[in-house]
Amino acid sequence: MLTSNSSLEQAIDKILEKTEKEILSDLKNSGLDSKQTLDDSLTKLEQEYDKIISDGNKEADKIEKQIIGSSELGTRNKQLTTVEESIDKVFTKALDEIANADRSGDYLDLIKSLFDESTKILGTTEIVVYTNSKDKDIVQSLLSKYPGAELSSETIDCLGGVKINSKDGTMAFDNTVDAKVERLKPLIRKEISTKFGVGN
Amino acid sequence: MSAEGGVQYSKIAEIKGPLVVVDDVSSAAFDELVEIETNEGERRLGKVLEVGNGKAIVQVFEGTTGLSISGTKAKFVGKVMEMPVSKEVLGRVFDGLGRPRDGLPDPIADKFIDINGQPMNPEQREYPKDFIQTGISVIDGTMTLVRGQKLPIFSGSGMSHNLLAAQIARQATVVGTKDDFAVVFAAIGVQYSEAEYFRRSLEESGALKRSVLFLNTADDPAIERIITPRVALTVAEYLAFDLGMHVLVILTDMTNYAEALREISAAREEVPGRKGYPGYLYTDLSTIYERAGKLKGKKGSVTQVPILSMPSDDITHPIPDLTGYITEGQIVLGRDLFRQGVYPPVNILMSLSRLMKDGIGKGSTREDHAEVSNQIYDAYSRAQEVRALAGIVGKAGLTEIDLRYMDVGDAFEKDFLTQATDESRTIEETLGIMWKIVSLLPKNEITKIKDKYIDQYYTGK
Repeated sequence: MLTSNSSLEQAIDKILEKTEKEILSDLKNSGLDSKQTLDDSLTKLEQEYDKIISDGNKEADKIEKQIIGSSELGTRNKQLTTVEESIDKVFTKALDEIANADRSGDYLDLIKSLFDESTKILGTTEIVVYTNSKDKDIVQSLLSKYPGAELSSETIDCLGGVKINSKDGTMAFDNTVDAKVERLKPLIRKEISTKFGVGN
Repeated sequence: MSAEGGVQYSKIAEIKGPLVVVDDVSSAAFDELVEIETNEGERRLGKVLEVGNGKAIVQVFEGTTGLSISGTKAKFVGKVMEMPVSKEVLGRVFDGLGRPRDGLPDPIADKFIDINGQPMNPEQREYPKDFIQTGISVIDGTMTLVRGQKLPIFSGSGMSHNLLAAQIARQATVVGTKDDFAVVFAAIGVQYSEAEYFRRSLEESGALKRSVLFLNTADDPAIERIITPRVALTVAEYLAFDLGMHVLVILTDMTNYAEALREISAAREEVPGRKGYPGYLYTDLSTIYERAGKLKGKKGSVTQVPILSMPSDDITHPIPDLTGYITEGQIVLGRDLFRQGVYPPVNILMSLSRLMKDGIGKGSTREDHAEVSNQIYDAYSRAQEVRALAGIVGKAGLTEIDLRYMDVGDAFEKDFLTQATDESRTIEETLGIMWKIVSLLPKNEITKIKDKYIDQYYTGK
């Protein structure tokens, strides 16, 4: 009876010892695993942290670019609008002065040069001439120099100069001051804007 | 520009499609600009296509709807079509004919330039070799764009080429230099919503201040589309060769341009070529594409990314076919990838940048770029073969190495190809991802990269 008890105790001790060893080993492994997981997650955390910072910086750069870009453009566009308003004012004043210009002196030469230019471009003097009421007398006085040319009884609304149609009505050439100003407008705008310190 | 005007003719012989035939014309020149005045006093622009026997054939950009033979007048302006240019065009939005569309006044011109441009003297051309970073991995990594190159994007109907175009316009930049960079964006025959998307996209990203937009929408007359790429390139050439900027020109969609050309050709009763396009389609396209390049002694460059949608995804269609003859490679978008939801759906196996080799490597991108790119290309090609095989024998019938290649294919599409529309990757980030994918293969499968680079960058186990 005593022998069997002692064997049992020994068996129990062995089992206990084995279980203890297993538990200790498991604990040790778990400890190592946890440490490993912790170490790994630290690296991952650092990577994630770096990514968040990097993404944040990128986003900040993007927003900075957006804000700077749109405000610079906004300022530039306001400047363009202001310059254009000023150009319009200069134009209006200049056109007023042209409309009320003295019709004596060099003005006759100007109309003659416009006449010459127009007949040369159309390639004929068989023309009907249109002009405004202010220039009618000057144009009439020049007609004798252009055989076949007639002055239309209708007047046109313009600052000055002439508009010429061929008698068959198939060709026309607008050589009024208005048309000339319109054609040169882009260059005049540039001149005016340069005076305002904009452009080259 | 001079004060001298042009003669106005009122004898209209015929109106046919987008063309007006003017009779009894004594002085007109080929390509001369024409102002058409309607009965109601409305003015439209056109240009002379043919002159002779007292007649002039005029192509009306805004279309001939509403014009009648009696009462319509054609004024021959005495000059070709010109675009007013200055630095002030940056940040502006124009229509397809170069007129302001942003509610601001006309730009104050520094110069007026013929929109047809001057052909580049071949002897004066400089070979393109400097990298442009688009921020899109698949382009920067495997089909690098270089300054002065013309690299088209071949897409298909409904695919995401417009998203890609806008992303390139927003993100593109030159690295390693302080030179100014600009984007000229020409939208040809796009929907109004797309045009608005392009404008808003550049505005909101702050990229508009370095961009010039030309927007020809689908409801604008088709004939205007002939002019849009030309005015855009005129501005680009000015910015590049007069102001010394590096300019990227994006033209989308060139198919709409070719269709406008076909419309005019049909109206002129010319003998049609393939699919009804005119026989001179190749020559005409080359007058646009060949305006890309660099010139000796000039600081700037003009780089072109024309985008065209291939009808029925047919790469042998005359437009992509003839484009491919002129340009230096192509970026092909794949329908399968698009259906899978991959963005950008670039099919790298059909794509190529012929000038890439000269724009990458040490001093430009990184010394290992060419080799890692070749390896990726090779591995993805093998992955496609393995996928096809798996479709027949099943995954279980594949070898261990085949499975690795399948992983490479998946990682390539998921990590490298796929990119958010607002994600800009630096070339270092792109190369990093490429190495991550290559590292999925065992070292003995990496045959296109030198050992020293494998030792330095390989991250596999």
